[in-house]
Parts: sequence; structure tokens; C-alpha cells
Amino acid sequence: MTDTGLQWSAAWDAILNSAYLGLFITLLSFQLGLKLFAVSGRNPLLHPVLVSVLSTCAVLLSLNISFEQYYHGAQFLSLLLGPVVVALAIPLYENLKALRQYWLPFLLANVLGGAVTIGLAVWLCYVWDLSATSIASMWTKSITTAFAIELAPELGGIAAVAAAIVMVTGIVGAVIGPWVFQWTGIRHSAAQGTALGICAHAVGTARALELGSQQGAFAALSMSVMGILCALILPWLV
Amino acid sequence: MLSGLIILCGFYLLGDFIATLFQWPVPGSILGMLLLFIALVLRGLVRGLGLGFGRVFGRDLLHAQPATHTPDALHQAAKHLLPYLPLFIVPASVGILNYAAVLQTEGWRLLVIIVISLLVGLPVSGWIMQRWIERKETQHD
Repeated sequence: MTDTGLQWSAAWDAILNSAYLGLFITLLSFQLGLKLFAVSGRNPLLHPVLVSVLSTCAVLLSLNISFEQYYHGAQFLSLLLGPVVVALAIPLYENLKALRQYWLPFLLANVLGGAVTIGLAVWLCYVWDLSATSIASMWTKSITTAFAIELAPELGGIAAVAAAIVMVTGIVGAVIGPWVFQWTGIRHSAAQGTALGICAHAVGTARALELGSQQGAFAALSMSVMGILCALILPWLV
Repeated sequence: MLSGLIILCGFYLLGDFIATLFQWPVPGSILGMLLLFIALVLRGLVRGLGLGFGRVFGRDLLHAQPATHTPDALHQAAKHLLPYLPLFIVPASVGILNYAAVLQTEGWRLLVIIVISLLVGLPVSGWIMQRWIERKETQHD
């Protein structure tokens, strides 16, 4: 190698140790996720975040890059999560007029429905004797990933485990939601939207928007309200 | 867009400040979101009631924006930033690499728990809302 003067291994190391590698892999895998999602006709099973996370993990494992090495560069994207979570106040405010005469049952559904779905999940965790990590990360199952990542550490959970639980919850909820509504006779669009927002957060909201604009508005509202309720109540409860 | 982002960062810092000041175990971002939401509602109320804030800033109250109108800078920032929210959650989610063992030993049980809680939670949440709406409709008839 010294003959040609080309420093192959040094050049390769420079890439592997670069802060931009994590950024590059994340952007690339997310782009791939968006493309697959569009091609599949917005199939929740091919949610862009799921595809992006799995393909990033695959790349890191095959290149033998540790998460810490990857995160060194990719944390730049996590930094932007804070102000973007704040920005969720804007769609919440703009959807508010959809509530009008429904605000009381809406709040009731969020508090009771949220308590049932979260309480049942955490109770089953105890019954099946799961690890403390899993239980602590299960509390945030019904709020959107961005909220869960911020909230889970406050509750003693692991952000990444919470994110995985949230993602699976959202995807399964979006897939079975319309089917469950048919079987249980939930026909009203406001009721469908609210249920999807409470139980399946952002992924459910995307699915609700496909069912109709009123479903979408109520799902977006209950997604935000659930996030706020959980953030305000759970730290004192857990 | 830029001034919207400045407002968002400002509310984030405010949320963080208040959470730390009172030692509340609430994420600064979520508190910041709540504060921004309250600010927007208050602004809407003030404009809707016509308390004269518009005139102070040299605007004609008669042509004031409707009460549920978001300031344009914030609307632009939200419109351009929110589509990328899923991208911003990817790096933290990749951290699951370090917890593969948890998923290996408990993954199936976690999945079953998630499905059960959805099968119960979805109808209960929807049912509360629907019962109320149907009762209102029969009252009207």
C-alpha cells in the first residue's frame, strides 16, 4: 500500500469515525423509507420510521459500527426533536375548532380510554413478570414516539425500548383499527378518529386521515391531548 | 420560517426553564408545547374579544385575523418542520441495537400485550365518544 501512496485503511477509518456518517446513513435510510411507503400505497406495515430504523440497524451491524459511534453524528437530528415537539402545538390549535360540542366526551374518552389501554398493558407486564426496563417503557405506549423518547427517561424507561413499543403499537393499531370499528359497531367519524388517536397516536392519525377529514382532525387532537396528559400525570404516578 | 423556528426554540427553552425551576419531571419540550398552545389560545381570545391589542400594534381591529388563525411565521415553521418529525425520531430509536437482548427474551410477550391492549382500548375509547354523540342525537329528535 505504501507503494502507491494510497492510504486505504486510513481513508476508510476517516469515514467510519466521521460525525457525518451517522447523519448520512439516517438521511439515506429515511429517504428509502419514504419511497417504500409511497410505493406500497402508504401501507402502515412499511412505515418510514420502521424501515429507516431497521435498515440503519442493518447497516451499522454489517459495518460493525457501534450505536455510540453512529449517534455521535446522528444526535444532530435528535437535537431538532425538541423544537419540533413544541411545533405540535400548532396543529393542535388549528384543529381545536373541530371539538366544539364534543369537548366533554372527547376529554372523557382520552382519560378513560387512555387509562384502560395503558393500565391493561402495564398490568399484563406485571402479570407476565417482564423486566423492569420493559414495564417502565410500556407506560408511554400510547403517546407518539417523539413524546415517548422525551418522556420515557423521566419514568425510568429506555427511550429506544419505548420507541420500539410505541412504533409497534401505532402500526398494529393502524392495521386493526378499521377492522375493530366494524366488528364493534363504532361508526361515528369523531369516535373512530378519537379512538385511533388515543390508542395508535401518529401512525393511527395518518390512518384516520385516510378514513376521512373528521377522523383525521379528532385523531390529531387526541394524539396531542394523550401526549400532554401522559407527560403531566405519569411522572407523578410511576 | 426562521422567525417561527426562533419562537419554537424560545418556547422549548422556556419549558425547560420552568420544568427545572419547579423540579417537575416533565420534558421541557412537552411543557414548551403546552405553553405555546396556551399562548395561541390566549392570543385568539384577545383578538376575538377585540381587547385592542391589534390597535396597539397599528392594526385595524375590524380586519383582524379570525380567532383561530396561527401567526404566519409559526404556521410556516410548522408546515416545513413537522413533515420531518419522523426523521428526527430515527436516531434515538436506532438505540434499540443496544437492547436487542430485551426484545429477544420478551419481544413476543410485549407484542401480545400490545395487541390485547389495543383490542380493548380501541373499542372502549370509541364507545365513550359514540355513546355521547348518539345520546345527543336522540335528545334532538
